[in-house]
Amino acid sequence: MRVDPFYIVNLSNSLDQTQVAQEQLSNELSSGLRISQIGQDPVAAAQNVELLNQINRDDSFTQTASLTKGILQVTDSALGSVVTQLNQAISLATEADNGTLNTSDLKSVSNQIAGIRDEVLSLANTNYQGVYLFGGSHTGATPFTVDNATMPPTVTYNGDQDVNTIVSPNGQSIQLNLPGDQIFTAPGMSVIDALNNLVVDFANGSSGSGIPDTSALNAALTYVSQQRVKIDNSITRLTDASSAITGESMQLTQAQTNLMQADIADVSTQLSLTQSQQTALMDVIAGLGQGSLFDKLVP
Amino acid sequence: MGTINSAMSLISAALEADQAALNITSNNVANASNQSYTREVPNWQENQPIYLNGIAYSTGVTVTGGVSQRDRVLEQRLQQQQQLSSASSSLRSALTTLQGNFAPANGTSASGDIGTGITNFFNAYSQLESNPTSNPLRQQILSSATTLAADISGKAGSLDAQKSALDQSVNTIVMQVNALSVSLAEVNKQIQSLSPGQDAGTLEDQRQSDMSQLSQLIGVNQIMTESSGLSITTSGGQLLVSEGSAFQITTANVSGLTQLLLNGTDITTQLDSGGGQIGGLLTARDQSIPNTLASLDQLAYGMSTSVNAANNAGTDLDGDNGNAGNIFNAPMQVAGTALAMSVVMTDPNKIAAAGLGQGAGDNSNALTAASLATQAIINGQTPSDYFSNMVSTLGALVSQTTTENMALAASVTQLQTQRNALSSVNLDEEASNLEEFQRSYQAASQVFTIMNSIMASALNLGVETAVA
Repeated sequence: MRVDPFYIVNLSNSLDQTQVAQEQLSNELSSGLRISQIGQDPVAAAQNVELLNQINRDDSFTQTASLTKGILQVTDSALGSVVTQLNQAISLATEADNGTLNTSDLKSVSNQIAGIRDEVLSLANTNYQGVYLFGGSHTGATPFTVDNATMPPTVTYNGDQDVNTIVSPNGQSIQLNLPGDQIFTAPGMSVIDALNNLVVDFANGSSGSGIPDTSALNAALTYVSQQRVKIDNSITRLTDASSAITGESMQLTQAQTNLMQADIADVSTQLSLTQSQQTALMDVIAGLGQGSLFDKLVP
Repeated sequence: MGTINSAMSLISAALEADQAALNITSNNVANASNQSYTREVPNWQENQPIYLNGIAYSTGVTVTGGVSQRDRVLEQRLQQQQQLSSASSSLRSALTTLQGNFAPANGTSASGDIGTGITNFFNAYSQLESNPTSNPLRQQILSSATTLAADISGKAGSLDAQKSALDQSVNTIVMQVNALSVSLAEVNKQIQSLSPGQDAGTLEDQRQSDMSQLSQLIGVNQIMTESSGLSITTSGGQLLVSEGSAFQITTANVSGLTQLLLNGTDITTQLDSGGGQIGGLLTARDQSIPNTLASLDQLAYGMSTSVNAANNAGTDLDGDNGNAGNIFNAPMQVAGTALAMSVVMTDPNKIAAAGLGQGAGDNSNALTAASLATQAIINGQTPSDYFSNMVSTLGALVSQTTTENMALAASVTQLQTQRNALSSVNLDEEASNLEEFQRSYQAASQVFTIMNSIMASALNLGVETAVA
């Protein structure tokens, strides 16, 4: 049976292949990546695209959430101040209603309530980083303008009823704002109207007419607190969504790392095996390429 | 009648035969490292005996020449495998370059990665939801749109450049094929005129060597014709070489790509699946790359048209209601969108975050635009899913070609080994043959010496003087 005299060529091809394998494994070790080309593992490469997309979206939401929380907290804090002011107005009005105050005291109460009304209007026009919080979608213009020519002053709402929401990666919708006319000048529950009426009631120095308006103010205060709850809910839901998304992002990052990272121990073992194979091949090639029968022939 | 003279001429013929055999052996040894050489074995032929009065008198031996130890069928099989193997190799090489454009991202901030670009773009809209009038956030949308457009058009440009490079290679190979066809036609002529009925030895070696080179370049079929001629056609049936004539492949430039013509017929599509380096290069140039480009075009088209439509369905900061303008340049058709993708909007105020008829602080259109990320806007898939599928399809193709390539290379090696086992020069064998023929020559010359002295005796008729 004849043998291929050029079999050494095949051995040196094998040697080439071990060098290629060695280079690939060394690259894996130095970059830490199991897959540097999509052809090495197409399924993993495709999964990698999806995982990174999700992780990226989650991380972006976490950023947005913290900015949004800031806006919501400012809104909440403004409403909190409004509640404080209204409580003070109610306490003043109640005192005035019990008939113990004299005319000048009543006038004083009227002025203080007027001051509270102005403060509430100022809070209604809260501006956070260039954006008016209570104007609906008209965030660039002052929501409430006052015309002092009339008595009581005419308050005009310049905004609209638009409500913004943001959507979390899980599909949760979270309300971001409360239109001003739904809090401060709600039909039948108008805080401004109630305050204005009390100002007029006590300006004339008479006390009895303040009682129904004081009840109206109480009702308006309750209403404002109810509206405030919506914002508090949004803050809670945003915080919860944010931590759920952060948790998801961490899990997905772990999954992506496991998918793409090289198993260092495994790669090192393979590399060492390849090196032994290479040494063995070189020894064989060196040993086998020696001479032929011609060396033995005596001329 | 056996005479001294006839014995002497018999032995001198033997000496010639031995010399011829030694010659053949030396030629084998001289060509021992020549991989395209086929070893020759001396053909010993006993001469016809002479019949006189019913008695047969032998007339010795002649070496009629060397017989090349060649298996035509094996060589043909080897050449066919070489065609398949080279096609696969050159395709694999092109695909390796192609896949380099879509290397897996190793984190969420990989630059140049299309998947990252898509996600960052939609994220910019999500962030705008919380503060629709913010100028920095609007700028962010435009800058991430620019990055995405640059990524996509950059990859498309890369693919186009690769196509041109492959095209160049095709031209180079065509020149080599044409040169080989001419050489083969020459050898054909020589073989047909010099040794029409039998193996042509060295000339046949050259023809087989040329065929082997040709097989690596282009897919061909070969047919033996009468008087040892070889007819070569492309695998699609077009004649390349016939008897002493070679037909040249010509090239024509059609829409920036080289088309190949032979005998007036456009053979480019045939060659595509035909084998050889040309087959692999043409497959990459005309199928693999255009398919990937088409996918990129779909992606660019879907993104551009959907995002532009969304922007024109809302209100921007300038109060434009329903005609705020396009963010990306509007494509006329799908083909070519990827290369031409760019951002045409320069004013961030033109981004329509608010819904139709709403004030500037409304974010409903920003919500709509952001939600495009999870809608089937690219051929029935979300942008991320589409890109992910594109990656896995291309990766699978590369993987499959690599596996095929390894298998084909192994089969070529196996056939090569078989062929070498039969046809290559084994130095040990030649050495022992040399010994054998040398001894045979020595024996014949010894016989000659003895016959010579017998002749001398005969001449002297018993007197041991004068002629020695």
